Order: sequence, then C-alpha cells, then structure tokens
Amino acid sequence: MDVTIELLSARSVNKTYGTGSAQLAIIDGLSLAVRSGEFVSLVGPSGCGKTTLLMCLAGLQAVSSGEVNFEGARIKEPPPGLSVVFQDYSRALLPWKNNLQNVLFGMRRNHTLSAAEKTEKAREILAAVGLHGFEDRHPWQLSGGMQQRVAIARGIAAESRLLLLDEPLAAVDAQTRADMQDLLLELAAKFKQSCLLVTHDVDEAVYMADRVLVLGPRPTKVVREIAVKLARPRDQLATREHPDFLKARHEVLSLIRSMRKASKDVLP
Amino acid sequence: MSRVLTSLRIPIAVLVVIGVWQAVYLAGVANPKYFPSVFEIASAFWVMVSTGGLLASDAVSFSRAAMGLVAASILGIGLAVLSDFYPAFGKGFQYISDFVQPIPPAALVPTAVFALGLGWKLYAFVIILVTVWPPFMNGVAALRAVGSTQINTGRMLGLTPWEMMWQIKLPAALPEIFSGIRYAATLSIIAVTVSEMLAGRDGIGFLIFKKAFALRTADVFALMFLVAFNGVLLNLAVGALRRMFTGWHLQMTERAR
Repeated sequence: MDVTIELLSARSVNKTYGTGSAQLAIIDGLSLAVRSGEFVSLVGPSGCGKTTLLMCLAGLQAVSSGEVNFEGARIKEPPPGLSVVFQDYSRALLPWKNNLQNVLFGMRRNHTLSAAEKTEKAREILAAVGLHGFEDRHPWQLSGGMQQRVAIARGIAAESRLLLLDEPLAAVDAQTRADMQDLLLELAAKFKQSCLLVTHDVDEAVYMADRVLVLGPRPTKVVREIAVKLARPRDQLATREHPDFLKARHEVLSLIRSMRKASKDVLP
Repeated sequence: MSRVLTSLRIPIAVLVVIGVWQAVYLAGVANPKYFPSVFEIASAFWVMVSTGGLLASDAVSFSRAAMGLVAASILGIGLAVLSDFYPAFGKGFQYISDFVQPIPPAALVPTAVFALGLGWKLYAFVIILVTVWPPFMNGVAALRAVGSTQINTGRMLGLTPWEMMWQIKLPAALPEIFSGIRYAATLSIIAVTVSEMLAGRDGIGFLIFKKAFALRTADVFALMFLVAFNGVLLNLAVGALRRMFTGWHLQMTERAR
C-alpha cells in the first residue's frame, strides 16, 4: 500500500458554537493530515475540544470555516470508508441486536460481500477480538471491556479506509486497557487498518502511534507533530522502556504542562 | 418461599379480592340488596352464561377493545413518527392532543351518535380518540430521547432518515411505547364499556345498563367483574407482544436490578 496517499486532511478548520457575545471558539485554524497505512494519535489537554474535532473530522458536525477532506472530497456528511469507534460503547452498541448482528450492522456499507460472506467475516473478526462463543449474546450481557471489543470489532468489520477511535479505552480499567492497546495494534496490523486515535493519555498516544499530533488548549489546533520511530510490534515492557519512547513522552508531556501553565496564567 | 408466592400471585390476588368482598358483605355495612354476596354474584354469572349467551356478548366487547387498541396503537406510533420527522407538525399536534385528551368517553358518545350512528364507526371513533394518546405521547418522548451516540452510529453507516427510524429510533423507543400501549389497553376497555352503555345494542356495557335499569344488582356486579377480567386478558396479550418485540429490554432491565 502506498503510504503517501492522503486519506483525511483538515485545512485551517475553525469551529465555533453560538453567536455574538455567547460565541465559543473550539477549534481555531487547525490543520492535519492522516495518510493511508498510518496509525496517528491526537493528544491534548483535557477540555481542549478533542471530541468536537473528531465530530468534525467524521462529518458528524459541520466546520464553521476551513475544510475537511476525505480521499480528496470535501466532507459534508459521514462519507463511506470512514468509521468511528465511540468512547461510550454501551450507548454505541444496539442493545436489541446480539453481538454478531451488531458487527454485521457495521458492514452495511459493504456491498461487495454476500450475506453469508458477511456473517463468516463477522464471526472471524469477533474471534479476532477474543469473543468467539459470544456471538449470540447481547452486548449488555458482557463486561465493559468485552463490550468495547464488540464495538471495535464493528469498527474493523466496516473495512473502512480509516478508523477514527474516540478515546475508546477511557472507560476500561488499567489492566484491560494495556491488553486492549495491544489488541488494537494487532488488529490494525492484521487488517491493514489506518487509524486516528484521539486520547488524553500521553503514554497511550506515544505507544500506539507512528505520529503523535499534540493539540493546544481551546480554541485548539495542532501545535506540534512528533514522529515515533519505535519498532513494531510494540511491547508493553520493551517499548515503554525504550529511550525513544521516553524521549517522545517527555516532549509531549512537557509541552502539555507548559500549555496548562500558560492557560492558568491567563485564567483568574 | 418468595418464589412460590410469586408464582401464585394471580390466585392469591383473586382470593384477596373475593375475601375482602365477602368480609364487607358479612360485616353488614352495606345494604345486602345493593351489595350481594360473592356466591350470589357467582350464581348470577353462571345463569347469564348458561342461558343468556354471556360469553358471546363478552367476545363482542373484547374484540372491540382489542381492535380499537391495535388501531389506536398503530395510529399513535404513526403520529409520533410523523412528529419526529416534522417537528413543526409535532409541536402543533401537541396542542390538539392536550385539548382532546381530557374529554371523557362519556362526553364523546352522545355528541358522536348523531354524526356516526350506532354502528362500528361510533365505537372506532370513541375508542381511538380515547386510546391513541399514551402510545403517541410515549412515542414522541422516546423517539426524542434516542441517544446521540446511537444516532451518530447510524449516520456513520450512511442510514437514510427512514432507515434511521426503522433500524435505530423505533427499536430504541419501542419499550417505552409498549408502556403506553399497556396503559392504553385499560383505557380501551373503559371506552368500549362506556360506549356500549350509552349507545350500544349489544356487548357487556349494554348488558350492564339493562341490568342496572332492572335493579338486578348481582348481575351488574358479575358483569363488572367480567369487564375487569377483560382488562386483565388484554393486558396479558399486550405483555405477550411486548416480550415478543422487546424481550431484550425486559431481560436487560431484569439484569440491571
């Protein structure tokens, strides 16, 4: 796959809510690009507007000015080939469908496979996320971590060119979180899935990504881009102890700390 | 122990009602001429069943209530869906709903008799006008409350507005709509009985009116219990449909408890 194909790009994006004196600027002149085959992390201080940004990148919210392009075309509505795994898995999965049906629902923009092929593929992906034998259960019969696995399986099953991950691991416990990070990386490699991960966890951002984009405080924009040249597959121990990991982590953390200090100086 | 009690809840409830009734009768607080014993009521019931074709009358009343409920539920859900697609319609229709809802069926019947006659049109009009509101109101509220994450999931998958309604919004709203239908089932029984009393030529309501006029107190009470039984039966039917369509929700809430 040609790594230089630009999948998703944002140019000088502004997003404001409200009008007049009640106007609130969330995004201010943000530009970024995600290329095919990449795993990119977007990390920023809490409250900087990450979720709004993701909504704009997914086509779920309109930008106030600037443009978001997916595969060269301006995004107005969510385009085919782009999927999202939401943070709130318990609200994103459909409780009246069982797990297999939920994953199949994620494939409804796929028009090349027959129904039988889709079912086979959905079973394969559920097995890949470690949920073999849970196909006929409903999401609410599973633990939180397992529910998020179903949601991730649904995202992967869409076979999108790009998968947007909106803090998918924020609601699972620390132990599960490390396992899920490795699972996500494994799936991304296995299914050649390009990913854009939005997170507030600096370690996670560095651990997962080929590139880390650091967001500034609200109104946000990309303030720095850091290439992560760590070997793949990543390893929870070796990677996290690698000098390059520590260096990248230090760079991001010190940047975020300085931004927090600056914003505190401004605020009373 | 509590499990045994739970499984026997229906016979226990019936026995409690019979017991209280008989206790009031034996205490002599009411004139026995107007408050007959349980046994008098039971024998009156049996006489009406064996000689008067009571069950055929009951079938007429029950099917009126059931058909009215089905029609009103479909109409109520349809109006709720329409209100969801066109918020302006929804807001406007809300005023009509607030205006019509408080009108009791007893007040609707005499005015409608002249326009609709004494046939099925009158029943359909009264039952639907009384019964349509709970499914409609619950439908509007539940469709409005469907989670934004579920909606966004549908949007990411390119769902058209109709697909969004059929595949996300309606399934999500159905449990609350069924709560409305359950309430509407009771209203439907009331509407049928009142219509039959005021303008009927058959059915349980008509019999109640006739027997009350003849001061056949035991017969009237027997018929009243039959109406109550019809209500229970209709609720059971709604419950069965609810389990069929939204069994997942009952299991999910049972689990969360």
